[in-house]
Amino acid sequence: MDDRDRYYNHLLFRLEQLLYHELSDCASWKTELVGTDFIQTQDIQGSSEPEIIEACIEKLKAAGLAKDIAYKIGGKGILLTLTVAGCPHMLKEQLLREAGIKPYSCLAANMILDQLIEKLGYATTYLADMKVDAETGQCVIRAAIYATPEKIGEVSDWSKE
Amino acid sequence: MPDILDVIVSRKSIRRYKPDPVPDEFIDKVLEAARWAPTGENYQPWRFIVVRDQATRNRIADLARLGSGSRMTAWYCMGHMQERFAGIEDPEKRAKVLRFMYSGEVSAFAKDAPVVIAVIGTLMEGSVDVPYDLSAAIENMCLEAHSLGLGACWVHGPVASTRDAKKFKEILGIPTGLGQYKVIAYVSIGWPAESRKHPRPKKPLEELVFWEKFGNKVRPRHG
Repeated sequence: MDDRDRYYNHLLFRLEQLLYHELSDCASWKTELVGTDFIQTQDIQGSSEPEIIEACIEKLKAAGLAKDIAYKIGGKGILLTLTVAGCPHMLKEQLLREAGIKPYSCLAANMILDQLIEKLGYATTYLADMKVDAETGQCVIRAAIYATPEKIGEVSDWSKE
Repeated sequence: MPDILDVIVSRKSIRRYKPDPVPDEFIDKVLEAARWAPTGENYQPWRFIVVRDQATRNRIADLARLGSGSRMTAWYCMGHMQERFAGIEDPEKRAKVLRFMYSGEVSAFAKDAPVVIAVIGTLMEGSVDVPYDLSAAIENMCLEAHSLGLGACWVHGPVASTRDAKKFKEILGIPTGLGQYKVIAYVSIGWPAESRKHPRPKKPLEELVFWEKFGNKVRPRHG
């Protein structure tokens, strides 16, 4: 990581730390648009979940914003699991953890969720959980995606996924 | 000066309302209470939108259901909700309560409240304390409503996410720029149709209060 990337990660770390201090766990809900300005410039095309998600992943990889992103949809269609490798913001997440704050904002996930809403008209989405593994350099993100309001309340046991 | 502790202690968040209308003079009193809340440097950044229209309240209720339900469905799927409500021993009752929560119905009561008051703050007049000023105003509103025999509920969840806050602003015609107005919550008001168990468990002062310095729970002798 060069000094410029380190600098940007330190900026993001400090902003997220301050936001968490102000808002506690609500900070994650407030940051859902972070990163979406970029993906909205990328002309993502598709008419289904896989098409939109895969198009976003390709753009993110091409821009150097992840080395690889694997995804899986389960949980009666509302659980989107993303495994992100080689994210340039791993340092930001590590700094947050060292500061005693559970990482709460994944920019890649924000972008993909944004495009499900923008391109497929999804009712809403929610970034539910984020596990950061600095040793492997991977993050596992679980997000709830609701194609329609009727999907709210479609519960299942995500630990079995 | 009368002690208002009884009003404070007996206040409850009311989510079920009778359909009876709330007279204007009662709403005026609730708004007047808000207007006299403490505000940094007397900026008074608060603005209030009083909503009685059923169609608008339905839209707010739908948004509330979506916001709370989207989060609580995920929390249930991860097992968090089950932990939170493990204290309900009857499995049928627990399942019913959980369903009420993760379906989002728990937050959809704006449609049944005769009045909803959106509390927003201007970000364009230099105030440095907008969320805190607005919170003080909301507490005043809830206490005044209670003292008038009304029920009220401070509702933040449905405007908690950035997208939902924008949708809420659009419903009420509030400018949506993030540098214009902050929507912090709404307060639903009506005649109570429920009598909630009270008092709800509160942590004892001994657990909450330190004396002179953080961590010191020994109350010093005074005088």
